[in-house]
Amino acid sequence: MSCKLEDARPDWKAYTLGELDAPARREAEAHAAACSACQEEAAGWRVTLDAMAVLKEEELPRRIAFVSDKVFEPTWWQRLTQGFLRPSFAAAGVIAAAILVHAFVRPAGAPVNLSPQMSASAIEERITAQVTAQVAERLRAEMAAAVNTAVTKAVADTEKRDDQRTASLLAATERRYADAADYLNKQVTHMYALNTGAGVR
Amino acid sequence: MIFREVEDRDLIAKARQGDVEAYNLLVSRWEKRIFNYLLRLVSNREDALDISQDTFLKAYQNLRKLDDPARFSAWLFRIAHNEAYSLLRRRKPDNELIGEPRPKDFGGRMLPMELSLAVESALKRLSEDQREAVLLKVYQGFKFDEMAVILDCPVSTVKSRLYTALDLLKTTLAPAVFAKARGVS
Repeated sequence: MSCKLEDARPDWKAYTLGELDAPARREAEAHAAACSACQEEAAGWRVTLDAMAVLKEEELPRRIAFVSDKVFEPTWWQRLTQGFLRPSFAAAGVIAAAILVHAFVRPAGAPVNLSPQMSASAIEERITAQVTAQVAERLRAEMAAAVNTAVTKAVADTEKRDDQRTASLLAATERRYADAADYLNKQVTHMYALNTGAGVR
Repeated sequence: MIFREVEDRDLIAKARQGDVEAYNLLVSRWEKRIFNYLLRLVSNREDALDISQDTFLKAYQNLRKLDDPARFSAWLFRIAHNEAYSLLRRRKPDNELIGEPRPKDFGGRMLPMELSLAVESALKRLSEDQREAVLLKVYQGFKFDEMAVILDCPVSTVKSRLYTALDLLKTTLAPAVFAKARGVS
């Protein structure tokens, strides 16, 4: 059994694959209605493609790394060329300043622990943390020294004032005591004179 | 489908402006299709996964070069195609299909798993060009003109490869397919 249209018969592969436009599709269906050879061919392609559809999609064994993952991070030279005049330049300035401050305040025996594998941000964090800690330590020491000096001076001033006051009080007391003794002595002498009549009459 | 295309366009526009999350969403939307396309093409899960990774990385790096965001899918598959063929060319000696066993005689009633194996085996017997044409049309649903973009060849070449492949598949699968259709045991 063969189609009478022969080479002009509908493209049943394209029909089954959905590649025919609406008019061509209607024309093919109208022809197949009266052509058993074309019905058989169309059915054959339909069955074949249905069979191929049993091949199911597989799940990914693991997810694709997203652009936020490390693998998508730009290389150092990309960052340098793409972001030279952007805000990261200010960040670079901060890093440079931190390094300078660090060099100024860092004690000789306390090297920064850096390895060649560390990223720029990790180095920045490490240096910033160390500089902050050392500045804080120095500030604490200077504050403590200043407070000690002030307290010592205050105590000394207070002690001096107390000594002066004590001396003054003592002198006043001695004066009052001397006056009282002198007065008492005069009174005793006067009463003795009255009782003995010596020099009173 | 139209809604989906609009969404993709929107995500692409955002990703071009530096919105990483928008691109992440595009990846999660397309990764399964890209992976399965590559899996059938290179027949190795790890290779397919690696090439998928490279495909999305290259797509991200070249997103600004995409002229028409409406054709993102064809553009993405074009990248995947290039990556896959780059690998296949490097591994050509190991990838010859000369020793591929012929499908068994699937004369009896077939279980879905058996039919699936028969289809897989029949696909592997095709040439790389033919197999890719089948994958893009039958499993990914691309139109002929989109396939021409992905494969970088005329539509006539696409149709020729696909039709030849379908004729071979029909012949190879006929015993299995028609036994199943008739319910022969």
